[in-house]
Amino acid sequence: MEQALFVSKVDNLKYFEDTDEFSRLYFGIEFCERLIPDADDLKKVISFVNEKKIDFTLVTPYVTEDGLERVERLLKTLAVLKPGSEVVFNDWGVFQVMDEKYPDLIPVLGRLLNKMKRGPRLMNVLDKIPEESVRYYRSPGITVPKVREFLLKNRINRVEFDNLLQGIDLERTGDEIRKSLYLPFAYITTTRLCLTALCDQPDRVKEVGILPCGHECQRYTFCLKNPIMIANLIRKGNTIFLCNEDIPDNLRMFDRVVIEPEIPI
Amino acid sequence: MKILSPLDSKEEVEELIQAGANEFFCGLLEEKWHEKYPVISINRRPAGKGHFRSFADLKEAVMMAQDHHVPVYFTVNEHYYIDEQYDLVIDYVKKAVVAGVAGIILADYGFLAILKKMNLPVKLQIGTGGTVFNCQAAKFYQKTGASGITLPRHLTIEEIRRMVERGPGIEFSVFIINSRCVNVDGFCTFEHGLSDQSCFPLYRNACMLPYHISLYPQVSAEERDMGDIIREHRFLERQHIWETVHVDDHPCGACALYEFREIRIHGVKIVGRGNTLERKVKDIQFLRTLIDRLERDNLSLIDFRKSARELYQNTYSRPCRMHMCYYPEVMEMPA
Repeated sequence: MEQALFVSKVDNLKYFEDTDEFSRLYFGIEFCERLIPDADDLKKVISFVNEKKIDFTLVTPYVTEDGLERVERLLKTLAVLKPGSEVVFNDWGVFQVMDEKYPDLIPVLGRLLNKMKRGPRLMNVLDKIPEESVRYYRSPGITVPKVREFLLKNRINRVEFDNLLQGIDLERTGDEIRKSLYLPFAYITTTRLCLTALCDQPDRVKEVGILPCGHECQRYTFCLKNPIMIANLIRKGNTIFLCNEDIPDNLRMFDRVVIEPEIPI
Repeated sequence: MKILSPLDSKEEVEELIQAGANEFFCGLLEEKWHEKYPVISINRRPAGKGHFRSFADLKEAVMMAQDHHVPVYFTVNEHYYIDEQYDLVIDYVKKAVVAGVAGIILADYGFLAILKKMNLPVKLQIGTGGTVFNCQAAKFYQKTGASGITLPRHLTIEEIRRMVERGPGIEFSVFIINSRCVNVDGFCTFEHGLSDQSCFPLYRNACMLPYHISLYPQVSAEERDMGDIIREHRFLERQHIWETVHVDDHPCGACALYEFREIRIHGVKIVGRGNTLERKVKDIQFLRTLIDRLERDNLSLIDFRKSARELYQNTYSRPCRMHMCYYPEVMEMPA
């Protein structure tokens, strides 16, 4: 099984030191266009992976028009410096641009577009609902053969998965589409009404919106507890995660594990 | 600019059209879905109110609306479905088409591709679950078969303007009132309504539950001084905002109607399947009054904002509040 390391900033390449466990590097951001790395950072990372002789995956977020321009600058750089690299897209607009202009890059369906339910609260009802409902919570959309057909027709042959508390049933998903499992942080939800933006400015407590920020997400992370949630929620930046370190029994159904040494924001 | 209104029964049709609705959207729940999936929705609404109960009723409602040239759109807009649900879901769509609906509102790329191949005589529209934040995403969905898109709640007016200007010539609609979701709907994997109201922590939206919130990872007590504690308390305060308010306490974006008319937004959408008829009528009349003023009175931006805010306060007995404003950048402008 392939093991990849996912870092969202250049400094975190340090997690690669003193280890030869990983044969692929994931680099980028999924949740906030303000944190998209610039082309210089990408160039540094490409030099790093070339030096280490490992494979590379660029990770991209959902984006407005502004964000899309920034992503496109990265795609352009990547297509020149490391053709054949993968690009995880979490926005169909990014896929559309890749499809039109960058045939040498390989699209991967990101975990935000794999919309399986992740809220820990549903664990409270799992033993009280019909088996059809349980199967729904454990199964992805790629159980539908025509959905797989659509993805393959569009050159998408890999889908990214979070490590769900309720488990993931991949029995009916075929072999044509390969699957990656992210460990240990699973995203639950994301917003552009970021509560971390300007959170340390007391006079702005009541302001909520798409506000300017000082990247407070790089300084503060919050833990949210409620007894109904069997796992604590972690708010980092504009996104809520859970941490699930339990390795699923059906790990063999995935051909790649993506290790997140930190929450990737 | 059209007013897109929720519709829950045939009895509501005439009154909502009289109030000023130009298009309807609705959902339907049959027992055979509910038996297998009691807490899983087929259309982003939990069981209970907010659904037609039979396709015969839907057909009657569609015919009544057609008499007024008002189209009815049918929601099958869950974020994704799995293989064993498809027979039921496709059956829903076929029955809705027979009932005469003008279009299907959906959220899933794969479902869109499948419906497109079926060559149904209806429009296919991507709902907010499709997460269209840029014109290239709109282009993707258009290419896959969509003729209209409802944008996510989390876009500024200027971001919408740029997208529409660059867009592929597809109909764009936006939310304008009610249920201002805290998170991006199409990326939110919390499941709401996991029980009835008897178990409040499972019933209430997860984003509005009360949480004990602390910094993560927690610093030990010995390492913190009083200054740290006071500082933390201040910036933790903001993290609790969504449990102190209700996201459906009449959030509104009506001030932005001015720009949306300029941008040529196709329609403004009232969230509210399941709301009372009285509330639906009130919401439609509020928007109809403002759109009529815009089209009739040639108001300046400032005059329109003033007019919208006054009408909002008079209609809903609430002041404008930033956390309940769909497009809070308008609050920085004079009115």
